[in-house]
This record gives sequence, C-alpha cells and structure tokens, in this order.
Amino acid sequence: MQYLLKAEIRKLFKQSKTYYALGALFSIELLILFSAYYQGTTIIDLLLENLKQKFYFEGTLLNGNLLIYLILNTLWFHLPLILMIIVSGTLTSEYKDRTLQTIMLQPVSKWKFILSKYIVAIAFTLMVVALLAISSFGLSYAFFGKGDLVVYLNGLNFFDATDAIKRLQWSFVSGALSMVFFSVASLTIAILFKEATKTWIVSAFFLILSNILLKVDFGDNWFNQLFFAKLNDTWQYFFYYTINWQQIIFNSVLSLIYCMLFMGAGIYWFHKKDIG
Amino acid sequence: MKKAAILFLFSILWIGLSAQAIDEDLLKVKNRLDSIVSFSTQLKLEVDISFINMPVKKAQMFYTKGKKVKFSSDDFVMLPKRGLDFSLNSLLEYSFITVDRGMEQRNGRSYKAINIIPTDKRADFSIATILIDTKLRRVMESEINTKKDGAYLLTFLYNSDAKVLPDKVTVNFEIEKIRIPINFMGKDTQLDRKKMKAAGTKTGAIYLTMSNYQIKSVLYNRYL
Amino acid sequence: MIISGTNLSKVYGKRKVLDNVSIGCASGEICGLLGANGAGKTTLFKILFGLITPDTGKVVLPNQSIKPIGGIIEKPALYEYLNAQDNIHLFASIQGLQLTKQEIATHLIRVGLPIDRNDKVENFSMGMKQRLGIAIALLNNPACLVLDEPFTGLDPLGVSSLRKLIADLAEKEGLAIILSSHIIEELSKLCHTLYVLKEGKLVNAGPAQQLIAENTDVYNICADNIKQAECLKNYQVEFKGNCAMVTIAASAVPYLIQLLDKEQIYITSCTPELSMEKLFETNR
Repeated sequence: MQYLLKAEIRKLFKQSKTYYALGALFSIELLILFSAYYQGTTIIDLLLENLKQKFYFEGTLLNGNLLIYLILNTLWFHLPLILMIIVSGTLTSEYKDRTLQTIMLQPVSKWKFILSKYIVAIAFTLMVVALLAISSFGLSYAFFGKGDLVVYLNGLNFFDATDAIKRLQWSFVSGALSMVFFSVASLTIAILFKEATKTWIVSAFFLILSNILLKVDFGDNWFNQLFFAKLNDTWQYFFYYTINWQQIIFNSVLSLIYCMLFMGAGIYWFHKKDIG
Repeated sequence: MKKAAILFLFSILWIGLSAQAIDEDLLKVKNRLDSIVSFSTQLKLEVDISFINMPVKKAQMFYTKGKKVKFSSDDFVMLPKRGLDFSLNSLLEYSFITVDRGMEQRNGRSYKAINIIPTDKRADFSIATILIDTKLRRVMESEINTKKDGAYLLTFLYNSDAKVLPDKVTVNFEIEKIRIPINFMGKDTQLDRKKMKAAGTKTGAIYLTMSNYQIKSVLYNRYL
Repeated sequence: MIISGTNLSKVYGKRKVLDNVSIGCASGEICGLLGANGAGKTTLFKILFGLITPDTGKVVLPNQSIKPIGGIIEKPALYEYLNAQDNIHLFASIQGLQLTKQEIATHLIRVGLPIDRNDKVENFSMGMKQRLGIAIALLNNPACLVLDEPFTGLDPLGVSSLRKLIADLAEKEGLAIILSSHIIEELSKLCHTLYVLKEGKLVNAGPAQQLIAENTDVYNICADNIKQAECLKNYQVEFKGNCAMVTIAASAVPYLIQLLDKEQIYITSCTPELSMEKLFETNR
C-alpha cells in the first residue's frame, strides 16, 4: 500500500499541471490580498459609518488580519475549483492515457489502488490549504501588520489581534475540511464519468450548486442541519463573538461522514466496474 | 480724568455683568479644574452597544491644559467624542450664560443643576446641563446637546471625596442601528424582520475606567 | 497448456462479441490470433487478463505466481511525462518490486532499449514504446505474455527486430506468448499455432504452417527465366515480372520445384499466397 501511495505522490508532482495549479492559486491569493487592501478602506468606512458620529478612532482596522479575513471569504470558491481539476485529473488522465489499463494488468488490487488515490488527494488538499494559510498570514503581516479585526456578523464584532489570529487559524482548519470534501467528491465524480471534461463540468456544477444551496434557508429543521451544502460555511462560526464549539464540532464530524460516504461509494463503484 | 472715570465705570459694569452670567459654584469647580496643568491616565474602555461586540480596550490618555487631549493605544480603540474632557473647557470655550435650575437628587444626594447656554455661534453645542456637587466641588453629571453629534449624558464617579478627576465615567448616547446590505460581508445573517423593524435609534453606552493618574497641578485657592 | 480460455462468450447489448471461443498456449509456444478489426481479439484478451468478466466459459491461468500473465492491450500505455527508468520503477513498485538502478537497466537491456536515455517517454518512437511496454509486461516474470497487435505502427525494421525479441523470449525464456494481428504475414513468420477469429467465432485453428498450407492455393514462385518454364504450362499461372503466381496445392510444390530445376530454372523464392477467404471459412 505504501508503494501505491508513493507512486501516486510521484505521479502528482512529476506533472507540470500540478505546478500550474499551485502557481494560479498563489497568484490569485496575491491578487485578492492587494485588491482587498485597496477596497479595505471603503469597507471599513461603510461598517463604521454610523459610529463616526459619536466616536473617533485610534489605531487602524486596515491591517493584515482584516485582509486575511477577506481572503478567507473568497478562498472557498476558487480554491476548490482548482483543487477539483487537479484531483479529478489524477484519475481522468489515467483513463485517457490508458495507463489505468496497464496498472490493472499488473498484480495490483483495485480497491487499494483507488484508495491510495483518495489518500493522496486528501493529503494534497491539506498541503495546499496549509501553504495558502502560511503564505496569506506571512504576506499579510509582512505588508500590512497586525491589529484588531472587525467583522460584520449579526452586528459588529471587534476582535483583539491575538484573538483574531487564533480565530483565523481555526477558520483555515475548518475550511480545509470543506476542501477535502470537495476533493473527495471530485474523485468520485471522476470514477463515474471517467472523461476529463465531463468530470470538470459536473464537479464545477456540484461546487456551484453547493454554494447556491448554502444561501437558501430551508428552515430550522433537521434537513437544514444535516444537508452537506450547509456545512461548508462552518468556518464562519469562528467569527461570532462567542464561538459555538458544539455546533462547529457537530458540523465537522458531519463533514467527515459525508467525505467517508463519497469515498466509500467511489471505491465500491471503481471496484465493481470493468476497466475494459 | 473723564476718560479714566468712564473706563473705570465700564470695567465695574463689565465685571458686574460677567459675575452675574457665570454661576459661582460653577466657577469654583472650573478654578479647581484649571489648577491642573497636565495629567496622564490609563483608560479602560468598555463598549455597551446592542449591535457591537468589543472586548475591553486599554488606552493611555494625556491632557495638557490649553491643548487637545491625546491618546495612545496598542490596539484599535473607539473613543467617544464627548466625555473625555474633564476640565469643562470644551463647554466654557466660548461666551455663555448659566441658568440655575435648582437641586436634583441622585442616589439620595442633592446636586446643583446648572444650564450652560452658549451665546457664541461658534460653540458646538446648543445647551448643556451640569450637576455639581457643591460641597466637594466637582462635576457629577453632564448632559450635552451638541449641534451635530447628538446628545450625550456623562456620569462621573469618584473613589474618594478629595478627587476632582473621576475614576469612572459613563457616556450614554443615542445611536442609529447599523444598516448594511445583507450579502455584504461574512455569513448571511438571519433575516429577523421583527428586529429590523424595531431598529432605528437606540441608546448605547461606553464605560471609561481611569487608573494610575499622574497629575501635575498648581496650588489653587480653595476659597476663591 | 499453460494458459487456456475455454468456451468464452461475451455479449454487449444486442451484439455477441465473442461466441464460444477457446484458446490455449503452452510454454515456449508462440500462438497467433488472426482476425479482422472488430473480430473480438481485444475482448478475448481482456477476458484472459481478467479486465472483463465473460458471460460464459472460464480462464485457466498458469501457476500461482504473483503475476501469471503480463501483456499489452491495444497500444502500450505508459506515463508519457516520465522517462523509461521512472516508468519501470513505478510499475515495479506498485506490484511490490523494489528495483535498483542496475536492475532497471537490466530490464531495459532485455528488451533492447538504451539505458542512457533520460528524456520523457513522449519523445520515444512507437517501436521503443512497444519495447518498454513489453519490459513492463515482463515485470515479476509472468509465465505468459499476451500482446495485442504489437506490430501496429512499426516500420519494417521495427517489425523485424520486435519479431526477433518475441522469438527469443519464447525460445530462451520459455514464455507462452499469444499475439494478435489482422496481418497474416506478421503472424505466419513467427507463430507456432494459429487461431482464426471471425465475427466473434473461432473459424479455424491449428499449427500455423499446416493451416497456411491447407489454405494456400497459390504460390508465388520467382526465378530469372521463369517465363520459359515448360512445366508451368500444366498449371494456372499468372506472370508478373520474374515471378509466377501458380495455382497449386502445397503438397505438389516440392515436385514442381524439382521440375523447374531440371529445366535449369533456379528459383529465388517461393512464397505461399494465403487465401484469406478459405482461411476465414468456418472449418471447425
């Protein structure tokens, strides 16, 4: 099994498209960082508008922490899009090049093979999120420094710099879990559709649908609680003034269960299907 | 000789008139406060506004007589526009008249209520009501109706009778509830229609706790 | 028989792709599977490999080794963005083989590939890709090698050198080799046994030379002065340059050659012209 994993990692990092994807992600992150900075003043002004009448302010809210928060807001759309392309590509390219056939002509267990793809996909996803987190913290603080964070979430919430850093870090952890979910889903979609373009379209559709359904309110019932699309916003819970850990843990465990389900279904289908 | 006599008359009248326009107790408090040349203090700020969650903030405040108050802080702090001027100078900057409103009760004690009405158009408030502790010569409460920034109610608390600079100040004010487009930033807030309708002007407060005063003052005549 | 498939059938939708086909090959034997495009050759191979489950019949594979059967289906499928050494290393590692650089070099030499080329496989010629594909198929020493149309896309030199490689593998290493092609000339020079597949059915099978002889009516005999041959007047002949297409049974050929020799007509070549129609007629 470890050899299968090593082989998958090798394949992933020997392909130039992996590096194009990473390059794209970092470029986007830089772009967001600087555009957020230029927009930042407007955003803060808007938030503090009716307070300006009664107060004056010392210190600046336009600092690294706010920018990381703004990066977080947009990250969870373009990141899974690119991740899904790379992850699903690890399987669709094998179908296209027929190397899958060559592999299956060797004494390799089918379910172990696809499981190793899932594991490497998850590890890659986590690695990418970690790199983005480190770079966004690093760049934001290097250029814009630390400071208090203001977030509009059912009111204006102000967080001390140290408190803000902690919450931002946890948000990345929570977001990483969502990204793992989408990566796993895209690999399962690849198993179903085999062909690259179809897989991209279905994966993108899945992502967009999840984002749309996120905004729809199904009412305060069990469906709203358990529906997978609702779980992708869990990172936001870290920006309520009091963190509702119970809800966050519940959502996270549920996300993990969905991941397992998609992964299990994928492995089952792959194992059952003819490779011919 | 004639000129000197006219000048003399004018000055007496002037003094007499001025003496009539400013309440004596107010003057006593003002003189007491004027004896402070400068001070610095550590501020603790607590915000109590319904739609704002903010942790307790710390700042340093520096006052020098005749100059604008300065602040410094490591964090982001929100400071009320009114309520940080303990010297009364902001109210008494331009010419004004006072009106005695009698005694008022607060927590079982009596204080003298005085209206301060500016006569100069340049003043930034229209009327202010001050409650003075005549015995201890200090301000207990101050209600200011500014021209542009709404109304403020300041309450002063002192830890000991001898102090003229407060240990705790409560600033009450009216504030409009925040109106920001729903999808603007962050998680979509639950659309609570009822709450939104009830929104409008609300009251808020900010609590300032002072500590570690470093005061530089000159001797003043208690009996003036 | 080291490998055999018995009574194999497969239906896709309404189409019967394979109908009761049986095939087998012994150690050291080269078996050829002849059939037109779409006859069912690739499907049969996929069943032998276990990639597809047959609707009926069973496959018996050689001894219980890790890898009883290796091979290539359609074209060799390799990781084009890796070089030859990386490809071998990767395919070896996933089946539990940890090869050293030396051992990888040995595998490359075995199939006639250079060991000093480090560029990506996408730059390789078709012939080199076939060889690499065979090298990968031979990992873990299978007893049987199955190659699907291995000569496709090769130039004449490539064809002859690949033919030599396959012959060596059978003879020197005792592998049972099954090849498929739609071109008889490729198979006739190499195979011991021939199986003929037509529209999913096995229409002919037997030792290659025997099958060719049985189904050959015409021989192409070439000699410098062939047109002057008197003995040829007894046969149906078509002359083309220095060659004569003679309609004659295989058994009668040696006698004809003797007659020509007596007339001092010394033949330079004698090639059977296989009758495809006859070969593909159901003969079982």
